[in-house]
Amino acid sequence: MKILAIETSCDDTCAAVLENEKILSNIISSQTDLYKEWGGVVPNIAKQAHMERIDLVVNKALNLPLTPSSKKRGNWSDIDVIAVTQGPGLAVALGVGIDKAKELAKKYSAKGGGKKLVAVNHIEGHILSAFFKNKIEFPALCLTVSGGHTKIILVNKIGDYKIVGETLDDAAGEALDKAAKMLGLGYPGGPIIERLAKTGDKNILEMPKVLRDNKILDFSFSGIKTSFYYKIKDLPKEKIAKNIADYAACFQDSVFEQLERKFKLAIERYKPKMLLASGGVMCNLELRKRLRKMAKNFDIKIAMPYKKKLNTDNAAMIGLVAYHKAMRGEFVEDIDMLEREARLRL
Amino acid sequence: MVFDKKEIKKIVSVLKSGGLVLMPSDTVYILAVNVSQKRAVEKLQNFKNRWIGKAISVAVTDLEMAKDYAIIPKNEEILYSHLLPGPFTLISQGKHKLMRGIEAEDGSLGIRIPDNKLILEVAKKLGGPISATSANLSGRRPHYSVDSFIKTLSEKKKKMIDLIVDGGKLPRNKPSTVMDIRENQMKVLRKGELVTKNSQSFISNSERETQKIAQLVFNKIDKPIILGLSGELGTGKTTFSKEIGKLMGIEEKIISPTFNIYNDYGDFLHMDLYRINNQAEIEELTFFKIISEKKIVCIEWIENLGKNNLAKLKKIANLKIITFDYIDEKTREIKI
Repeated sequence: MKILAIETSCDDTCAAVLENEKILSNIISSQTDLYKEWGGVVPNIAKQAHMERIDLVVNKALNLPLTPSSKKRGNWSDIDVIAVTQGPGLAVALGVGIDKAKELAKKYSAKGGGKKLVAVNHIEGHILSAFFKNKIEFPALCLTVSGGHTKIILVNKIGDYKIVGETLDDAAGEALDKAAKMLGLGYPGGPIIERLAKTGDKNILEMPKVLRDNKILDFSFSGIKTSFYYKIKDLPKEKIAKNIADYAACFQDSVFEQLERKFKLAIERYKPKMLLASGGVMCNLELRKRLRKMAKNFDIKIAMPYKKKLNTDNAAMIGLVAYHKAMRGEFVEDIDMLEREARLRL
Repeated sequence: MVFDKKEIKKIVSVLKSGGLVLMPSDTVYILAVNVSQKRAVEKLQNFKNRWIGKAISVAVTDLEMAKDYAIIPKNEEILYSHLLPGPFTLISQGKHKLMRGIEAEDGSLGIRIPDNKLILEVAKKLGGPISATSANLSGRRPHYSVDSFIKTLSEKKKKMIDLIVDGGKLPRNKPSTVMDIRENQMKVLRKGELVTKNSQSFISNSERETQKIAQLVFNKIDKPIILGLSGELGTGKTTFSKEIGKLMGIEEKIISPTFNIYNDYGDFLHMDLYRINNQAEIEELTFFKIISEKKIVCIEWIENLGKNNLAKLKKIANLKIITFDYIDEKTREIKI
């Protein structure tokens, strides 16, 4: 089965092609030199940006020519299934991917009927992103942490999930991005925080430990954000600049401390056979290291996406979910009726 | 807490006949009597072992009823409309229509418009104010359940209560903030849940107090509105929006919309323009389309809308800007 997957839930325009569970291509707009080839400007969020990029990204995933002079050719007739993120995400952005998927499903009709369409939940994509090249045992417990989500999910089997903990306010990645902004590092600055934190002293600020109640598996990051803001707001710019690595380390540590603490509680409560960790923040090597250590202490195996591109938003993970849904026969019945669901629940 | 007409009728008839009623309010349990009746007021004073010179605040239905009993100049009226109904007792100059003991020795009168349907309905049916003094013996702590109050009473006192209206366990709200507003002096005499600097500026010391301020704002909403929230990171904009959503009956978790830009909850829309950098993005979000057809929209980082869009929004919608400022780590000033 060949699957073309499209993902436009937030800032990145993504497309991928899979053959069953194997990734053939995985294109992410911000991580390719698409713009050099094409020469466009890159606005961040909006619908227009996705609309301008979507054909390029899909063509690249399919190995079709980006410009008339280019010679490469993929083959449309190979594609059996088109997969698209239905939600959750930014509504106008989701709409672009869905419209494109609908259009393609109808246009490239295979022997009379259109190509089959599968609607995918973005969060399920993040869960399954850890499944590539890994053998998963169930029940598994998944920590997925990104700019938009922070969740602990019990995975009984593929397609059977239960959210057991989630953020009550900001997502962990969002908190890291905002801390970067407070330090004058721009937004989003999560990756810069990671780089700085490597050499910083995480003990120079005393950060609060929030949601201490052991019964609660939910997260909260707005309190530490506020505390951090307050601790640095009156410091002279030179002092912040001088100790910026230390401040980054303190903030990052307090975010990770909470992620670890709550994940540990969830492991103790649900006693999974395996751990999963995914989402954009999982690109952070320090966090990966800490989670690996935790898994070792529990003597449980942990699986994470095998490359960075599978941690951040990508279409390959959407394709993998679609593969399993297609195997179960879960297709969109009426293509015209498919609508975006900005706050789709798992 | 829902009370039917029959119960309200019964309360009103007990009050009319000079009785003492123990009933729930938006803050604590209160002792209600018909303050226009001398006998009823004396009974209350006896019950509370109260020195007659010390005043007892009253609950009225609205500003109109307040004006029947107190002199409220235009500048004080603004305070009434901003703070009430809500957890405040405002002290104005009395018209001496009520006896001493209700009015203070200097002729001032403490007035509440509780955010509580039962009390408002009772005062309306009675056609005049009722006492809104907290149910405790003078100098003791207020009570949040009928049982805890009754336990503190002697048999003799118990018999003095003519009717008990049990509203169950009340949330542990503090008693109202008492403020003397005469001649705009704004003196806080008792600090309750909320403290205000002036009619439009509140001090919040906790997440809970920010929620209370959101409640106060919510109670005044009578037509579709856009609440534009402006303030630094971590000053309580999301806490405020979450409470508004909760008051609208949204049951699911309301989380920060920074990443998604906006979360749509039906009648309620929660938006965050933090990540918006330019005007074109507002257009591409189809901003003006999204916000129409909503009852309440909370927009964090409203300043990122840009001058022109803000001017346009002001023209076409009922916009209220609320600003959040740090005073110190735990304290915020919220201007409504």
